[in-house]
Amino acid sequence: MDSIKRLYETTFIVNASLDDPQVDAVVTRVQDTITKNGGTITAVNRWGRKRLSFPINKKTNGFYVNLEFEAPGSLLAPLERSFQLDELILRHLTISLDQRAIKARAAAAARAAAAPPPEPPAPVAAREPLFKEQDEEKGA
Amino acid sequence: MRPPTNQRTQRRTRRERDDKTPRKKRTCRFCDAKEVYIDYKDEKRLQRFVTEQGKIIPKRITGTCARHQRQLVQAIKRARHLALLPFMSDAIR
Repeated sequence: MDSIKRLYETTFIVNASLDDPQVDAVVTRVQDTITKNGGTITAVNRWGRKRLSFPINKKTNGFYVNLEFEAPGSLLAPLERSFQLDELILRHLTISLDQRAIKARAAAAARAAAAPPPEPPAPVAAREPLFKEQDEEKGA
Repeated sequence: MRPPTNQRTQRRTRRERDDKTPRKKRTCRFCDAKEVYIDYKDEKRLQRFVTEQGKIIPKRITGTCARHQRQLVQAIKRARHLALLPFMSDAIR
């Protein structure tokens, strides 16, 4: 039963007063705990330093990292524990991606892939610059 | 017991006034956009469904349908946990 893998997503905030190499060390540490416990990381999104909307542990800034990974449910307990023990991590949130989320993600990806092609054709495109010029004049 | 006549007439006039003012039909923005998933990471969009104080706006005002309101509330709460949205705005604190 434990071998069933699910898609999870975790976001955590690293203390932003650290230097970049130290932040990287924290991120790799988290990635290691995931891979060691039978998970595979599918995406790493670093949002970078952001202002927190309220102070956490008297800090107003944080380095946000978002990881997507596929893993068995047994991974979550050690992962949560490692988050709690790590003093450099201010906050963390792990959610499982349900069918809806996966579908939405696929749709967004499809939209992003489909968006560039329709632009070049279409005769309407030739007319558009006229309006744009007008808009520019208005703006100026 | 019937209420006194003057009260009944008052109530009726109020109702008439309500009927006269045309009510704008609100539709669920997420249904219109055929949105299947409301992401907690999309803080800019979530901000529209939160008051300046940081409170979640009820669906009777925004017109969001029940299903999407539930998802929205969950997304807002997740965003708050990650300090993407405030629990309470700075001005009030």
